[in-house]
Amino acid sequence: MAVATASTATATAPTFGAAASRRWTTPTLVFVALVAIAVAVDPDVPDWLDVGLQTWVRDRYMWTVQNSNTSWLFTGVFNPLSDAIAWCVESVQWVLRGLRYPGVLALTGAIGWMTGGVRAAVSGVLAVLGVAVLGVWDPAMVTLSIMLTAVAIALLIGVPLGIWTARSDRAERVVRTFLDTAQVMPAFVYLIPVTIFFGIRYPPAVVATVVYAVPPAVRLTSLGLRQVPTVMNEVGESFGCTSWQQLVKVQLPMARRTLLLGLNQVIMMAFAIVVIASLLGADDLGNLVLKGLQKNDVGAAFVPGLAIVLLAVALDRITTGERSASSRPPLVRLPSVAWRTGALIGLGTVVVATLVAKVTDHTALPGALTVDISGSINDAVGWVQDNIRKDVPIIGGTESINDVLVADVLEPLREFLVWLPWLLIVVTTAIVAYLSKGWRLAAGCALCLAAIGTMGDIPGGEGGRTQLWDLAMDTLSQVLVAIVVSVAIALPLGIWAGRADRVQRVLRPFLDTAQVMPQFVYLIPVLFLFGAGRGAGVVASVIYAVPPCIRLTSLGLREVPIAPREAAISFGATRRQELVKVQLPLAFRAIMLGINQTILMVLATVIIAALVGAGALGLVAYEGFAKPIQKIGQSAAAGLSIVGLAIVLDRITQAWGTGPDRSRRE
Amino acid sequence: MRNHRRSVQLLAAGLALAGLLGACGSDDGDDADDGGGSATTTADAGGDAPATGEGIVLAVNPWTGSAVNANVAKVVLESLGTPVELLDIDENATWVGLDDGSIDAVLEVWPSGHAADYETYIAGKKSVVDLGLLGPSAKIGWYVPTFVVDEHPELATWEGFQDPELAALFATAESGELGQFLMGDPTYVTFDEQIIANLDLPLKYVVAGSEAALLTEIDKAIADQTPLLLQFWQPHWKQLEADLTEVTLPEVTDECLASAAAGDGLYACDYSVDELYKAASAGLEAKNATAFAVLSKLQLTTEQQSEIAGFVDRDGMSPLDAATQWVNANPDVVAAWTS
Repeated sequence: MAVATASTATATAPTFGAAASRRWTTPTLVFVALVAIAVAVDPDVPDWLDVGLQTWVRDRYMWTVQNSNTSWLFTGVFNPLSDAIAWCVESVQWVLRGLRYPGVLALTGAIGWMTGGVRAAVSGVLAVLGVAVLGVWDPAMVTLSIMLTAVAIALLIGVPLGIWTARSDRAERVVRTFLDTAQVMPAFVYLIPVTIFFGIRYPPAVVATVVYAVPPAVRLTSLGLRQVPTVMNEVGESFGCTSWQQLVKVQLPMARRTLLLGLNQVIMMAFAIVVIASLLGADDLGNLVLKGLQKNDVGAAFVPGLAIVLLAVALDRITTGERSASSRPPLVRLPSVAWRTGALIGLGTVVVATLVAKVTDHTALPGALTVDISGSINDAVGWVQDNIRKDVPIIGGTESINDVLVADVLEPLREFLVWLPWLLIVVTTAIVAYLSKGWRLAAGCALCLAAIGTMGDIPGGEGGRTQLWDLAMDTLSQVLVAIVVSVAIALPLGIWAGRADRVQRVLRPFLDTAQVMPQFVYLIPVLFLFGAGRGAGVVASVIYAVPPCIRLTSLGLREVPIAPREAAISFGATRRQELVKVQLPLAFRAIMLGINQTILMVLATVIIAALVGAGALGLVAYEGFAKPIQKIGQSAAAGLSIVGLAIVLDRITQAWGTGPDRSRRE
Repeated sequence: MRNHRRSVQLLAAGLALAGLLGACGSDDGDDADDGGGSATTTADAGGDAPATGEGIVLAVNPWTGSAVNANVAKVVLESLGTPVELLDIDENATWVGLDDGSIDAVLEVWPSGHAADYETYIAGKKSVVDLGLLGPSAKIGWYVPTFVVDEHPELATWEGFQDPELAALFATAESGELGQFLMGDPTYVTFDEQIIANLDLPLKYVVAGSEAALLTEIDKAIADQTPLLLQFWQPHWKQLEADLTEVTLPEVTDECLASAAAGDGLYACDYSVDELYKAASAGLEAKNATAFAVLSKLQLTTEQQSEIAGFVDRDGMSPLDAATQWVNANPDVVAAWTS
């Protein structure tokens, strides 16, 4: 193997083994020299490295503030754009209000029935009914109208970008950096600027949601198209397909499952940010969550939180259909007669339901039919808080877990990372990147990390000033721990779910909930159990980061074609061997994508962690929202540092997935 | 394929129809408003009240006092024929809304947290105008649960915290050997790190990051009877329910204020009192002169505001009901604003 690689490898690919020893010398020498320099120079980031980014951002911000009512940029571009978005949201809202709850229920059922059959219809209708029963119908329709608008815009932007990046490696490299930035840059950094550009209420909410929901649309479209076997493309070509026909008739249908997962993730991402959007003045479910939080009332925050989850689930089930066993026939392709009848019946039901509701004057579910579960939630949360916080046999309770985690893991790791000469970290990362993939990655990673060194310092901490680099190391220590914990939880569960349909079905609602339930809802219990600090921050990140990893691992195992598995079984492989030798290797890429998403999710929650006391970069980033005029500059610097860390961690793990060999498209 | 497309068209057309059928004349008004500001769209309702003035939008920031003032103003202004929409919005986004005129006024600004906004929008750009003091004052300070002071009376003043052993009572995993000082939401002004350093206290400044985190820590400290030292403020609904004592810090001096203004990092005294004020969008006077006049005159005393806030926080009334009840019971106070 080594010999074969060495004989064919290009000069950029590092190789291991005797045959390649000569090629080893140059990089080794370079790295030894770099390490020597890194250790010899100042271990702290020198002040002259500060490129003045903070001042630059603040100056731009102040210009925006000063000119927001006069410049053509606002009166001619952003104000009309904002009006258009507001019009979209209000139109959707008008229709939803007009349909009233029976109409919305019927519509959910009709769409579900047509896309996924009875099962999708039933789960969709039940979820929407749940929203009505919770007694939050009106704000729920506001949320739904914002989300539908945002999801539609995200798909309009994301799918074409995904198609483009699937066809061009270079495009993918460029676009990926932007996607990572969009996904990881804390919304709090740009929320106030977005408000200046788009005004208050719905438009900035839609914009913030779109920023967050576009990345999965692009990524999974691209992944889906790239996974289409070359054979199928060749078949298409040999039949004389044009490139467009190839895309529409071969690639997109073949990639359907991954595309649907993409839609699912777009919906989940969009709903996950709904609370942040309500800070800007939307009278939606997120607003109710914030009001519960204001009173420290978990139950009151949980009810609208649950409604958000149910809406997301309903939307997901009826748009992606009920995906389950691979034996199921294609979803949207019912025979055309059935389609038309279905459409007519569905339409009829919607009209009748709406009319009945109008005649009987029903806007929301009658009060008698709604259930207030906030009291029981508070009881349940109270029980958990009282019983697992301390004096639990063997493990001791969440408080002692937190103490160990902070005092014996997070703090030593942070101190070590801060103590290490900063250039040594840059160089070491570059070496790891080189060994994982090559020079190009090494240079990229070194640049990303070094860029954090150029962000300057902020007031506070020992000696009055703190380098952003040191805060980045603090964040890094927390992020690394959260990633390890998340992957340790998610991989086994994902493998289990990938092999057992029942597990998959049981897990799915929990995953949906963990991913969509506004983090603000569970911050209070997490705080109560772990205390304000980094331990609580790690836990909050893990809850959010686990679901995509489980999903993608499971999907990866399920995507493994049946033929190799059958071959393995016919050769007498045990179930374990089938998993370890066939399924896992073939699902490797999807699993690595899952781990990747975990990393990005953990970094995306750095700011949420800061809201429970994790401090570090997340807190500095949040301050841009809390005191924009003074702190927008350092907030942007912290946000970019988070992005820098994310890109480095992402690219290196991604390289482990694809290996040093650059031929990624078979 | 063609069938498919036609079905989709049919469906779309039908949906539009259904929406129309349902929506036409379905403005049943009543949005089940709880007055807490779930954005009552009085403006859309059309024909509810005799609307003589152009409707205005008042910001409601996420605390009881803010909801109380706004609802009192809503009740008064609507009786004068100006429809008022209450908008729940974050306090920092509020300034952006005031600046572009999408929010007409906010009735409770805490000056300590918004000095830069005042400087930029009111003094500089003049897109926002100062509507004068609201009346009540507020104060940020250092607080401990009262049982801590009962056990260790020395801890009632800052000097008590000089003793490393006493300070260590407040130690947590985050603060290690030192005692922990907990700061909450970074939106509020904070001199705590400077105070700790300049008074040379064996404390570690830890940022909990949110008000929710502070409240949870208070609940936990009281439930477990463990010591806790934190930045907190008055008025706050939690003060009615949790027994907290303010720690005495060195008195505010001119030097101290000068150092705060200069930002030289030498601040070493108590927080000064916040005189809450009102602010309006510069366009409000032209848009609705009555509303502008009433809001300029509107003032509550600390007692009046706490009385209405008590209806909400203690008795569980909606802010709108509480405000209505209070306005009906105090016609003379209201008359002074509307004359």
